[in-house]
Amino acid sequence: MFANFLGKSQTRRKFLGSASAFAGFSALSSALPGRALAQGEPIKIGFLAPLTGPVAGWGKPGLDGVQIWAEWVNAAGGINVGGESRMFEFISYDNEYDPSKARTGATKLIQEDGVKFIMMLGGDTWAGVQPVADRTGMLFSTLLNSDLGPETTTLLAPAESHPVYNVTGVEWMAENYPDLKTAVMCAQEDALGLPSVATYLAAFEAAGIEMLEDPILFDWETTDFAPIVTRMLSSDPDIVSLDTCYPDYVHPIMEQLFQQGYSGQVISCTADFYGQIIEKTSVEFVEGMIFQFPDFDDPAMNQDFINFQNPNKFWEVYNERYPGQWGAVSWEYASIMDIWSAAAVEAGSVEPDDVLSTLLASGTGKHAFGDASWWGEDLFGVDHTLLGNWPVVRIEGGKARIKEFRSVPAWYDKHGEILKKHMRAYGQMPDQR
Amino acid sequence: MVELLAQTGLNAIYAAAYMSLIAVGLVLVFGVLGVINFAHGELFMIGAYVVVAIYADFQMPYVLAAAAALVFVGAVGILMERTMFGPLRDNPLGGLVASIGFLLILQALVSVQFGVRMEHVPPVTQDVIVISEKVRLPVQRLAVIIASIVFLSLLWIFLRKSKFGWALRASAQDREAASLQGISITRISIIAMFIGGALAGIAGALTAPLISVNPHMGHSVIVAAFIVIIVGGVGSLEGAVVASIAYAFVHTIITTFWDGVIADIVGLALMLAVLIIKPTGLFGTADRA
Repeated sequence: MFANFLGKSQTRRKFLGSASAFAGFSALSSALPGRALAQGEPIKIGFLAPLTGPVAGWGKPGLDGVQIWAEWVNAAGGINVGGESRMFEFISYDNEYDPSKARTGATKLIQEDGVKFIMMLGGDTWAGVQPVADRTGMLFSTLLNSDLGPETTTLLAPAESHPVYNVTGVEWMAENYPDLKTAVMCAQEDALGLPSVATYLAAFEAAGIEMLEDPILFDWETTDFAPIVTRMLSSDPDIVSLDTCYPDYVHPIMEQLFQQGYSGQVISCTADFYGQIIEKTSVEFVEGMIFQFPDFDDPAMNQDFINFQNPNKFWEVYNERYPGQWGAVSWEYASIMDIWSAAAVEAGSVEPDDVLSTLLASGTGKHAFGDASWWGEDLFGVDHTLLGNWPVVRIEGGKARIKEFRSVPAWYDKHGEILKKHMRAYGQMPDQR
Repeated sequence: MVELLAQTGLNAIYAAAYMSLIAVGLVLVFGVLGVINFAHGELFMIGAYVVVAIYADFQMPYVLAAAAALVFVGAVGILMERTMFGPLRDNPLGGLVASIGFLLILQALVSVQFGVRMEHVPPVTQDVIVISEKVRLPVQRLAVIIASIVFLSLLWIFLRKSKFGWALRASAQDREAASLQGISITRISIIAMFIGGALAGIAGALTAPLISVNPHMGHSVIVAAFIVIIVGGVGSLEGAVVASIAYAFVHTIITTFWDGVIADIVGLALMLAVLIIKPTGLFGTADRA
């Protein structure tokens, strides 16, 4: 299986460097098997995400990251499941962010490949996969808790609780920059964009920030963002929110904001490959941009409550292997595998039912950004989101810096009704989907 | 409001400029070869990737990269004519299907060579002409507008003044009659495919620093290009230019003042209205409709 990881950008030297890095991967050691354990069959895990097309930026970097995770875990002997040493084998399927292809992929991964768990980006593709999940009882993960509903009994959001965590960026911005009072927003009109629009609207309302006009929704095929930026800037906003636009949109929108002379605050869910945004604009223009996804070499990632193992080394290996490609999802699927494998070890089984019941049994879990609780009943009708703190990130001097970890549940306890109101207005409540 | 209208006008002129290059190439190929080239959007994409390779990756001058895109994509057009459209000359449906297959091949080749992620193309210049506080024209966009005018003017001169241009127009009007006059349809088809490809390639090269370059970017322009050539009149170069300008202004104004999704719907409605009221398009003739 290792041969699969040795792509053209992967040299033997790099691989050995990665494997040796696992020496520092100490926290998983309790789950790792001793030498005396019998060698079991590899655990097959499905990776069902867009690897091509405009959403590939939120699929391929995640696959790259989870393969580093697998190399580290396998190099240390795999995990101990019911007294057997089990390695990991990831089988990917490119769903191109197309629901029908996602359904085909899920069926293939389950029936032909015999996977025990399938990781997805979610969003529009979940609609295609849900019938397969209902029929087979397969355990799936999504990065979007807006996919969850009372009927999604085998779907979890263990790493990313998109879009709910976006409230932390707005809350932090409002507290630290109280002079910012007005905002505009744009987003692509899809299952990633719309729930995020509702969340930002709720966060702005809760923070006392006025929306100058309704969010501007645009089509997938949009390539020229000049008209959209012209319209946003026509109302002289203090804040421009880029919602959860895909990287293919964030970059040209930022370039247009720069070229059309905007000098106010920008807030966005992501700022993937922000070095390229700086090159297209300037360090000064991007200074102060707020978003939600940290670089893992950030000193704040070394705090005791962080559960992601060896984040600095992970960042180093990832960037050595895929220079300039670190993005929002680079670490997330690896983080999901941390959580899943710990549950499999505890359950002594890799069967979906066993792992699912073990995961949810205590009501809490070790999220990458700190201990968290399974949450979501009030908003989505099911407690399948592992929710706790989420980082607020700000670009300072051309580098992303974590400013604070903020509690998402604490915000929801105060402003949950506002969020539900906006979710309903955009048709994003479970009974509306 | 005046500033908003002025900035919207500049945005529309830019959109009309690059859309004209793409649509005119598509019309030219249809006029001469009688083939609907669904891979035309991918020729636009290849032009952008030539800039990625030469300008972004090898850090050679942008002008050189744009010139290379023009020549290389024109050569790809010749390759398409020699391997697909020529052998399938009497089978327009076969040409269409072959172009769809070629589209997928081009996407796959680019994905294998460059990867599927968005490519980063550094800005050629960050200079902006500041007309007023809220009316600005980036020099990169101005360059696209000027280059489009230059290339379309050169094409017009070529078609009106040169021997090959006359032959090309004659072939577009009546292929059999042109052939009887001693015009080589094969040679004219090759020239048409080179020009059509080159125009799409230069459009991709000119816009590469301004948009997200990825293997699927051709999709986004081909739908608009088809709307434009249907509205303008299939086979009419003048119609393609006029329709590009009209479409760009309508789409940009609606996007700015209402909604981008509504703008797309209006574009399609415009096409339907033309098909119902004047099926030949604004400048088309009945034999090409």
